Amino acid sequence: MTASDYLNLLISALLLAGTYAAMAVGMTVIYGVMKIVNLAHAGFLMLGAYFVYEVHERAGLHPLAAAVLAFPFFYGLGVVVHWALGRGVPVSDTPTLASLLLMFGLWLVLQNVGYLVWGTSDRSILTPMTFATIRFGEITIPKIGLVVFASAVVSLAALEFVLHKTWFGRSIRALIQNRYSCRIVGINVERTARLTFGLGIAFAGTAGGLLALLYPFSPDFGRPFLLRSFVIIVLGGLESFSGVFVGSLILALVETFSILIVPSSYQPAISFGLLVVALIVLPGGVAGFVARKRSRRAG
Amino acid sequence: MSAETQRPGFALQAVRALPPLVLLGFLAALPLFNLGANSVKVLFLTFVSIAASVGWNILGGFAGQVSFGFAVFYGLGAYTTAVGINEGLSPYLTYPLAAAVAAVASLLVGLPTFRLRGPYFAIATIGVSEATRVIMSNLEFTGGASGYRITEHVPFRQTEHYYTGLALATVAVLISIAVRRSRFGLGLRAIRDDQDAAADTGVNPYAYKLAAHALAAALTGAAGGVYARYAAFIDPEGVFGFQRSVGILLMPVIGGVNTIWGPVIGGGVYGVIEEELVARFPQIHLLLYGALVMLIILFEPGGVLGLLQRARRLVLRRRVASWQPS
Repeated sequence: MTASDYLNLLISALLLAGTYAAMAVGMTVIYGVMKIVNLAHAGFLMLGAYFVYEVHERAGLHPLAAAVLAFPFFYGLGVVVHWALGRGVPVSDTPTLASLLLMFGLWLVLQNVGYLVWGTSDRSILTPMTFATIRFGEITIPKIGLVVFASAVVSLAALEFVLHKTWFGRSIRALIQNRYSCRIVGINVERTARLTFGLGIAFAGTAGGLLALLYPFSPDFGRPFLLRSFVIIVLGGLESFSGVFVGSLILALVETFSILIVPSSYQPAISFGLLVVALIVLPGGVAGFVARKRSRRAG
Repeated sequence: MSAETQRPGFALQAVRALPPLVLLGFLAALPLFNLGANSVKVLFLTFVSIAASVGWNILGGFAGQVSFGFAVFYGLGAYTTAVGINEGLSPYLTYPLAAAVAAVASLLVGLPTFRLRGPYFAIATIGVSEATRVIMSNLEFTGGASGYRITEHVPFRQTEHYYTGLALATVAVLISIAVRRSRFGLGLRAIRDDQDAAADTGVNPYAYKLAAHALAAALTGAAGGVYARYAAFIDPEGVFGFQRSVGILLMPVIGGVNTIWGPVIGGGVYGVIEEELVARFPQIHLLLYGALVMLIILFEPGGVLGLLQRARRLVLRRRVASWQPS
C-alpha cells in the first residue's frame, strides 16, 4: 500500500458517506418526529432503485433525472401510505410495539411485491459514466461515485434549507424537540407528521435510486442498507441531523478501510459489529456525547 | 383489575385447566392411531414452532421487547445439538446444552441494548441474525455455508421425535404459565406498561429484561436443537435465515401477543399455513405474512384470541339483550 492507495480509499469513503447520509436522513426525520423506527425504509430503498431502473429503461430518461423524479413520486407515496396506515402510525413519545410490527409487515409486503414484479435476479443500471474515472496523477476518482455524491449533497443541502428557512421545516425541528409545546404554539402535529413521513420516504426512494447507480440490486436490495441506516442514526444519536453526517462518515470510513484487515466474506457483519461497539462506547450517539461534554463544561 | 391478577377458586382453576389437558391427552394418544408420516411431521414441526413462539412471547409479549432476530437462538441451538450428537453425546443431553448456549448468546445483544432507552434493542436484533449467519457461513468446523450433517447410529423413529416435540412444547407452555403467575412475570408486565413506575416499585428493568431474554432464548434454542436432530442436516441459511426470524415473530402475533395461549394457537395456525402456503405459493408466502401482520396490528392487535374474545362479547351481549324477566 502506498500513500496514494490510502488517499484513494479515503476519497471513496468520503463519496460513500455522502450517499449514506442521504439514505439515513429519511429515517432520522421520521424517527425524530414520530418515534417510529421505519423498518419499511428497506422496502422504499428497493422501490427507489427499481423506479429509477424502470424510468430509465422505459422512458429513456437519464438515471439522474429519474432519481430527481423519484423524489416527488415517493413523497406522494409516503403521504398516501401514512394516510392508509392511519391509527397504526401515531405520533408518540416512544416507539410502540404496534408501529414496529406494522412497519415490519410493510417491509415484507414491499420486498415480496418486488419479487413478484421483478423476479429474483440482480439488475444494474449502466450508463457511459459507470466505469469512467477521473485521474489526477496517482489518484483516480470514479465518475459515477462523484456524480452520485454531488446529487446526495444537493438533496441534503435542500433539506437543510427547508429545515431552517421554512415554516414546515421549523415545525419539524420543533416537533423533534417537544411535541406538547408544538401544540401550544399552534403547529398542526398530525399534518406535519404526515408530510414528514412523506419527506422521509422521499429521501429513502431517492437514495435507493442513487445507490442503484453504484451497486447491482435485487428485491432484497434494502436489507443491508437498512442495517447501515440504523448504524448511522444510532451513531448520530437517532434524531440529530448533524449526527447523521458524522455517523455516515464513521460508517463509510470503517467499511472502506476494513477491507485491509477483515476478510471479504466477513464484510456483511461489519455494520453490526460497529453497531454493538457504538452502543457500548457511545450510547446516545455522537449528539449525546457532545451534549454530555457541553453540560459537563457548563456544570 | 383483570382476572389474571385475582386468583380464581380451585374449582374454577380445575375447569379452566381441563381443555388444555384434554388436548394434551389427545395429542399424546395420536400416534396410536397410525397417522401418515406426513401428518406426524407437520405436527412435530408445529410443536417445535410452538416452543419457539412461546419463548418469543415471554420477551416480546410479557416484557414488550420486540425482537426480529430469534433465528440466532434457534440456529445456535440447532448447531449445538448437531455438534453434540456428532461428538457422541446423548441427544437428550444436548437439548439443555442448546438452551444454555442460546441463553448465553442472548446476553450479547441484551447487555449493550437493554440499558438504553429507545428502540435500540429492536434495531440491534435486525442485525444480529445476519451477522451470526455470516460468521457461521465462514466457520470451518461446521462445514461453513454448505451445512452440517448429523450422523446418529440409531434407526430413525418418528414417534420418538413426535413425543420429544410434544414434551418440549408442553414444557414451554408450563414455563410460560409459571412466569405469568410469578412475581417475575408481574415485574415484566410492569416494565412493559411503564418502565419508570416499575423501577420506582423496586423492579430492576435491566436485570428483568436480561432474564426474560435469556429464558426466551433458551426455549428457542432447545426448539432449534430438537428440530436439528429431526432434520439431520442444517445449514446457516436455513436455521439462521431471515425467514426463520419472521416465522418465530409471526406466530405469537397471529395468535395473540402477551397471552398464554395466543402463541400456541398462532404456532398451530402457522404450522398448517406454512405447510399449505409454502407448497402452493413459494413466491408470495412472505407477502401474505407481511399483509397478515399489518392487518392484525391495524384491526385486531389481539390476534386470533382477540377475535375470539370479541365474538364472545358479541354473543353475550345478544343473550343479555334477548333476556326477558319472567
